[in-house]
Amino acid sequence: MGFVEALRQRLNQNPFKGFFRLNRLRPPGAVAEDHFMELCIRCSRCIEICPYDSIRRADIYASLQIGTPYIYAEDKACYLCMKCPPVCPTGALDTSLRKGEEVAIGKAVIDQDLCLNYLYVKEEESGKVTGMATICNTCFNACPLRDKAIVMEKFLLPVITEECVGCGICVEKCPTQPRRAVNVVPTGMIDEKSSGYYYRRNRVRQSQPEGDRGAVSGEELLERKEQISTFGETPQFKSDFSTDGSMEGWE
Amino acid sequence: MFQRIGFYRRCAQLLTLLAIFIIPLLNLYEITFVKGTFYSMDIGDVALADPLAVFQAMFTSRTISLIMLASMVVPVFLVVLFGRVWCSWFCPYYLFTEAVAWGRSRLSVFGIKPFTGRYREGSTSRQNIIRYLVLGVGLLLAGIAGIPLLNLVSAPGIISSQALILVKFRTVSFELVFILFILVLEFFFFKYWCRLFCPTGSFLSLFQGRRGLKVKKIELECRSCHTCIRSCPMQINPMTEGDNPMCHNCGICIDACPDNHKQPTLGFRFR
Repeated sequence: MGFVEALRQRLNQNPFKGFFRLNRLRPPGAVAEDHFMELCIRCSRCIEICPYDSIRRADIYASLQIGTPYIYAEDKACYLCMKCPPVCPTGALDTSLRKGEEVAIGKAVIDQDLCLNYLYVKEEESGKVTGMATICNTCFNACPLRDKAIVMEKFLLPVITEECVGCGICVEKCPTQPRRAVNVVPTGMIDEKSSGYYYRRNRVRQSQPEGDRGAVSGEELLERKEQISTFGETPQFKSDFSTDGSMEGWE
Repeated sequence: MFQRIGFYRRCAQLLTLLAIFIIPLLNLYEITFVKGTFYSMDIGDVALADPLAVFQAMFTSRTISLIMLASMVVPVFLVVLFGRVWCSWFCPYYLFTEAVAWGRSRLSVFGIKPFTGRYREGSTSRQNIIRYLVLGVGLLLAGIAGIPLLNLVSAPGIISSQALILVKFRTVSFELVFILFILVLEFFFFKYWCRLFCPTGSFLSLFQGRRGLKVKKIELECRSCHTCIRSCPMQINPMTEGDNPMCHNCGICIDACPDNHKQPTLGFRFR
């Protein structure tokens, strides 16, 4: 039994089953991704029935996912009309699902460095005017579960709650370009264990240090350190912990 | 009698080809009586599905659901009753291969010979072994990958779903390249896909029993001209192998038989 279980584990962790990307969503009611890939026969019936033309047939870029249905939230989000789950012939979409509130495509995440409202508050607090910030509220107004999935903190800052179904309408409408300030993380991608090969590979790439610290490394970093002299101005170092920056008895 | 079956068959094929464009178009106008593609289709409340597609879904997911089994009933029943008429009377890919074969027969001025049957003793069982082997290996790979892999090479399903996205989004996806690729090869190897590779056709053959609609030699004596053997697209002997799983009841041999002008010699019979 141990061997069979191990083999099954190995076969189920294949790269064809966990292929997640931000803002690329399965239709509403989709079962867990690995189970979805087992069940989906690529019949295109959810694509045919979708009145908003949201669901697309995956092309060659999706490797073995070719032919399966995807919603590209940046182009056209899911409007939760719930016409597609009942037509699925194999149950890859939960055919008994009728209510839009029970959908769990994913969860939206707001990038606070890009969201115009967050920028506005930051500017107001620091007093520095960049001309980028403005009061937007588009995601809040577009959300089909307004005041449930997105709430406005202090009437200004949009915050995603657990009610979010991941329809992606906020992503479609978000005005920031080229990257959206709000992105939907597909359901399987949240769970690290089941999220598969591509997610892990992406994560490694993303986890490289950002900013000044990661900009140089190896020989170059050594060279730069050698150039530091004790004369002249004191160089400024960025560190991820706080120091009080002064020492007794030093001038 | 002469050419009658061929005429009806061509009508059925052309109507099917028309239907794969008309159905999505009607769905755009919210007339959803018939909906779906050749992987899976709803006519009214009756669910139909490609038995192989549904079987693969059950096989890879290790679940059996009543909806899936119910959608297999009508297609399997049709195969048991009428044989593999899906392939020869309705499949859009089969129509395309016939067009390619016809195109080749027009090119004799360039020294290209038209296709002729290459039936030899024992070739039928060899073809059967190859196609069931392809189906078995395909199912094995689908089991290993854990996804319904054979749907990626199911020609009728791909063609109808491509027609759907062509109507709905005015684009096609990469799968059409695969169809064009195997169609180009049809020019050099006569009906090789339908005879040897098509997993859908092989899977439907599994349900062909000894009973049902079969091509049968009714008269004991004929002039033994072997026109039927030369005309057979599946490269079998219609006079003796009408109940072979290779036979897809296209009726070309019956139309071709010159003895049928005088009295019924070769014909469809229910067994």
